Order: sequence, then structure tokens, then C-alpha cells
Amino acid sequence: MIRLRDVTWHHGALPNEGQATLRNISLAIPQGGFRWLLGPSGAGKSTLLRLLHMEALPRSGDMEILGTEIGSRSKRSTLARLRQRIGMIHQDFRLMPTLSVADNIALPLRLQKRMEGEISQEVDALLDWLGLVERKKARPVELSGGEQQRTAIARAVIMRPSLLLADEPTNALEDSQAARVIGMLRELSDLGTTVIVATHNDTLVQRFPAPALQLRQGRLFADE
Amino acid sequence: MNKHKRVRDGLALSRALPDRSLLTMVAAMSLLIALTFTAAVGAQSLSERWARGAANLITVQVPDPDKTPVTDSHTTGGTRIEAVLGTLKTAPDIVQLHRLDEQELDALLKPWLGNTGTAALPLPAVIEVDLTPGGVLSDDLVSTLTTIAPGTLVEKNDDWRSQLHTVARSLLFCAGLAIALVGTIGAAVIGMATRLGLGSRRESVTILHELGASDGYVARRFASRVAFLSFLGGLAGTLVSLPPIAILTHLMAPFSGNIPSTMQNGESWLSILKASLIAFWQGAAPQSLLIGLGCIPFVVTLIGWFTAQVIVRVWLRRLP
Repeated sequence: MIRLRDVTWHHGALPNEGQATLRNISLAIPQGGFRWLLGPSGAGKSTLLRLLHMEALPRSGDMEILGTEIGSRSKRSTLARLRQRIGMIHQDFRLMPTLSVADNIALPLRLQKRMEGEISQEVDALLDWLGLVERKKARPVELSGGEQQRTAIARAVIMRPSLLLADEPTNALEDSQAARVIGMLRELSDLGTTVIVATHNDTLVQRFPAPALQLRQGRLFADE
Repeated sequence: MNKHKRVRDGLALSRALPDRSLLTMVAAMSLLIALTFTAAVGAQSLSERWARGAANLITVQVPDPDKTPVTDSHTTGGTRIEAVLGTLKTAPDIVQLHRLDEQELDALLKPWLGNTGTAALPLPAVIEVDLTPGGVLSDDLVSTLTTIAPGTLVEKNDDWRSQLHTVARSLLFCAGLAIALVGTIGAAVIGMATRLGLGSRRESVTILHELGASDGYVARRFASRVAFLSFLGGLAGTLVSLPPIAILTHLMAPFSGNIPSTMQNGESWLSILKASLIAFWQGAAPQSLLIGLGCIPFVVTLIGWFTAQVIVRVWLRRLP
């Protein structure tokens, strides 16, 4: 369950320092829900996803992520444990430059101290599904934008997260690949993962109809 | 194999931390600590021995030694010096009594009187009393001596012992201060190296944090590497310190009473080093020194681990 009540976030410590980025955001998404996050550039989509990923904490308001109240007084260990249940696909992919594709994908499972045999199976399945088998030993710097994006997607979904946040996850992919990725995210949602996908791709939104969150100038205008 | 795979998290700390400079700096700090510690142990050992010696040796001065004693209940002799010697012989805790003869008095007073000699001077008789370790000359006995021979002076050397203890304590304090200072500088160097490593892996640490790695995990990764390098540095510094420490221990041996001196004038440094190392290997060094030196790599490791933990955890506070 994701629940936000009157959440505000802005740069700087005080409200009058700089322009507010998110204002009085309230939303509720049940477990297993799928939501498109739509809005023009600069509307605050990435900021809202960062907030839900707890890369930033609300300046005011209440935020509940996966049944846990989040605030500035939340324990760091609690936040770390929660992040292990959240998959995040960043626009800039954020891959480990020193690791191969396979090791990048395996990283969340290694942090959870899973058995290497189990990790290997999961990684191989995702490499195969995303067409990255031949690139498994390549470093991120050797990959194309599409390959990096697919690697980031694989890393986000490998531990079957309870919440998946995707910031423009298909902008470097071909249409057919993009449709496959969104199809997979919908399947994850059907299996119980809450999925929020920020996108500009209207074709995909129309092809995979789902409730949408509309952000404009830091305000949430619709929850359906 | 599993251990190798567990650390495939992208931090690649063997390339992130300034390994060589950190190792060299820690080795230099450990060398300084080892030498300072050795000096402290040596100073303490010497002062203890000298203080013990001073406490065991008492000097008794008897004026007008050839006069008749005032009372003579303990001796059969007819002079005050014979009466005093007789009384001292009955006391417990005395190992040896020795009355200085004229030649010995001449030698003792030569710095003040030159070659003139003491024959013309009305000097008191001087008796050296060697006590058993921990032995004392009772106040009653001293009182008896002054009764037999008025003006008899008993010098117990307590002032000397007290001064030696003060000197020893001061030396130990200075050594402790120097070790603490070197340790603090070492911690600062380790801290800076850790900050450098964090700076070069800022992106990777942030990604790990976002993937749910706890502060403890990241801090442990850095601390393990820093502790490993600190241990190697500590070990290297301690090993490098051993030859000079062995020589120092060998040179100090005659003064601290561990082994008799085997040094010959004009002996080459190489042969001194060889003899020193052999003696060191055969256990000439005090046990407290060996234990202390053995602890240095581990203490330095602990400092490295703790410093890295603190630096990394503080740095991670900037991330939510």
C-alpha cells in the first residue's frame, strides 16, 4: 500500500527557499496496483518517484510506503530494509561502472545474501528474456543506451519487488522491446507488485490502459 | 569462492583507496610507536632497577669513630665504630656490612679534595649497609646507633628513590603522550584516506545505498579494507623497528641487569647488530616489551577499522 497525505517537498531547508517542487500531494495506491505517472517535463514526476524511493524525505505531510510510515525521524536501517523491497529504474540507469552486466543485475540479490546458485539462475533467465545473454560480461560503458536500460530494468525486477518505480523505462528502447517491458511490468503488477511508471509515451499508455497520476507544476490533478 | 563473490558489489576498494600511501604512512606511524614504546619500557626498567638498588643500599656515618661508645650493650669492642658495627650485625635484613677504608674514602672524596687525601681531616667513619630486597633498618635500631655514637647519620636514600620514580613516571607520561599523538595522527591519516576512497566511489556508494545496502554494510566494506591495510602497515612498521630495538635492548642489558655486557670496544655495527638480534631471538628483551610490540599491528588495525567505520557512517548521513 502506498499512501501520501498533503506531502510537500522542496529544495532547501525552509519553504521560502526556492520554489516548491511537490505541493500537497495526496494519493493512495493499493498493493498490486499499476499507475501511469504522466505530466510535462519539469512537472515533478522524477521528484515524486525519488520521494517514493526515499531518496528524499517529505518536508511536510504523511507518507506510508509498503505499510511503513516514513518521515525525517525514520530509522536509517528501516529505510534501508524498505529500499530492498523497492525496484527503481532511473532515467540515467545508474549502473555500477566497475561491474559487468550480469553482476549489475545480480547486485540486489547479493546485498540480500542470496545463494550464488539461485542468483545465477535468476540472472540467466533475465538476461535471456531481455536479450542480453551475449553482453553479460560487458561493462556499462561498452553498452548501447538500450542495453543499459534493459540492464537497469533487469536489476530493478530481479528481486521481485513489492514496489516498482520506473522513470521513463522505455525511452531508449525500440517499440516492440518497450511493449514487452511494459507487458512484463503489468504481469508483475498482476502478481502483487505495485508499479508506477513515469512516461511521455502516449502510444504505450493507450496500448496498456491503466489509472494515471497527472502531475502539473508539482500538483497532482487526477488519481484516475 | 563465496567470499570473493560476496564482495562483487562494484565498490572495488582495492582501486579506490590509496593503498600504497596508506600502508606506508601506517608503517611509519607503527615504527614510531614501537620505538617510543621501547624507550618507555627501557626507561621504566632502568629506573626501577636503580630505585631498587638505591633503596637496598644504606650509608651510615659515624663521627669520632675511635672514641668510647656512650652505651655498649651489644658489642664487645671498645670504640664507637666497633659498637655500631656490632649493633648492625645483630639486625635482620642485612646482607653485607662494609666499612670504607682510607683509600676508599680518598677515592670517594677525590672530586672535592683532589690528591690531598683525607688523613688530616676529622672525617666520620662510613659504613655501607646492603639490605635484602624490601628490607628496612628499623627506627629503634637507628635510635640505638645514635645513642651509642651521638651524631651518627643514617642515609636511607629515600629521596633518591622518590626522584627516580618521579623521573620514571615523567618519562612514561611523555612516552604515553607521544604514542597517543602518533596514534591520533595515524587515525587522521586513515580518515583522510577513507574520505578519498569515498570520494572516488561516491557514485557506487550512492547506488548501493539506493539498492538498500545498510550503512553498516558500506561501512564494514570500507573498514575491512582499511583494517587489512592498517594491519599490513602495522606489521611492516613493527618488523622494521626490530633491529634498532634489538640493538638498544642489547646495549641496555648491562644496566638493566638482564645479561652481562659482551660488547667490545671498536666492535663493528654489523657484529653488534648480529649479536643483538641473536640475543633478542634468545629472549634478552623484557616480556612486557615483546607483548607490547606484538600488540602494535592489532592496535593499529583496530584504529583503522574504527576510524573507517566512523568516517563512512558520518559521510552516509548526507544520504537519506
